[in-house]
Amino acid sequence: MGAFLSVNRLCKDYEGRRALRDVSFVLEKGDFLSLFGPNGAGKSTLLSIVSTLVSPGAGQVEVKGFDLMEEPEQFKKQLGVISHNSLLYNHMTALENLIFYASLYKVKDPGKTALELLRVVELYPRRHSRVGQFSRGMRQRLSIARALVNDPSLLLLDEPFSGLDQYAAAILTEQLAELRDKERTVIMVTHNLERGLNTATKVGILAAGRLVFMESRQDVDRTLFEAAYFKYARGAGPV
Amino acid sequence: MRGFLLILRKDLHAEFRRPESLVSMVFFGFLLLVILNLAIPLGSEISPETGAGILWVAITFSSILGLSRTMSREKENRCIDGLLLSPVSIEALFCAKMAMNFVLMLIAQCSIIPLFFVLYGDSFLQSLPLLVLVVLLANTGFAAIGTLFSAITAGTDRNEALLPLLFYPLVIPLISITVKVSSLIFQGAAPGEYSSWLYVMLAYGCIFTGLGVLLLSHIVRE
Repeated sequence: MGAFLSVNRLCKDYEGRRALRDVSFVLEKGDFLSLFGPNGAGKSTLLSIVSTLVSPGAGQVEVKGFDLMEEPEQFKKQLGVISHNSLLYNHMTALENLIFYASLYKVKDPGKTALELLRVVELYPRRHSRVGQFSRGMRQRLSIARALVNDPSLLLLDEPFSGLDQYAAAILTEQLAELRDKERTVIMVTHNLERGLNTATKVGILAAGRLVFMESRQDVDRTLFEAAYFKYARGAGPV
Repeated sequence: MRGFLLILRKDLHAEFRRPESLVSMVFFGFLLLVILNLAIPLGSEISPETGAGILWVAITFSSILGLSRTMSREKENRCIDGLLLSPVSIEALFCAKMAMNFVLMLIAQCSIIPLFFVLYGDSFLQSLPLLVLVVLLANTGFAAIGTLFSAITAGTDRNEALLPLLFYPLVIPLISITVKVSSLIFQGAAPGEYSSWLYVMLAYGCIFTGLGVLLLSHIVRE
């Protein structure tokens, strides 16, 4: 199977501080990469570059052989992102937010898609409530629906479980399993070793801007991986 | 075009649901016209130059209240990232925000200009059709520059304090041309006397629209 996503020697500096150093990896269609690393390791920077929000200092990202920087509009149609921020409009209702985003992605029936997703994240009864009135967990659930509105083939998740209650976390876990079954390619940045290892087909550790570990999940022993993670987390704090 | 219309519709919907910007723009414009009117002796006529100056002071100072909101609204929950991640082009995003500013200013002017005629004499009223043309051209420039600097300052903590500091120095040439043309129109001058200034105003709007489209992606990313 050919590479779906190819990251080649990616580097990024922020005001003289090197956030990413020669990061390279390849993901095939259907791969689920759980990326671990201590705070300041460059995980969010990596996701920001892959999502086209930040330009790389050096290196290249290719999706299905197309350079991300040269044809971003084509790539964006296939991309879904869950970040630290909900990217939702507080003054709009849950339904209006999803219809707006679905329309931006030229989804065939934005209203129907939005209602279906609201049922999936179990916010259908609150569809006419403004997002400003939602709790953090509810926003996060709606944010999951927003990221899935275009049925993305590549999903980037930055700490998706952060702030979720057990119930919302269970909904997300269910959604992630479904995405894996549908052969969607996923990169999930997380600190939660348990959840990250359970859902992944590949696991990686980013420390001090370097990808210091990258293996197929089936080749990784949980105990040894945990030991390796703590070793890197202790040895390499923020760059 | 679809992305442009979607973003514009979303912003208009937000503004009409809670018309904070519009109300403050109209109120501030009214206030300026009333305060400046107090300086004029009762029953005396004002010159076309003074009239044009008063009108554009009210319009430009009230405009800034709306300009700062269009981009800062996207700062909330980093919604701007949601737009940048979508397949909508940066040109459509800038033009939608600029169009929103244009429409907001136009709606505010629909209240401010009639009050100007009421307070400062209906002798200026015969100039209304040509004044509309000047307003449309001036709004294009104000909206383009306002959108560009609103995007720059939206990323800062002191958005509303910083925007006027960047906005006004750059629109001074446009304001002075606008006041000049408006006073000529109020005097009943022949169009040939000010038509070249109208082209300058048009060029001003076009240049800053182009600059905004080119620079917006650099401003809002990273």
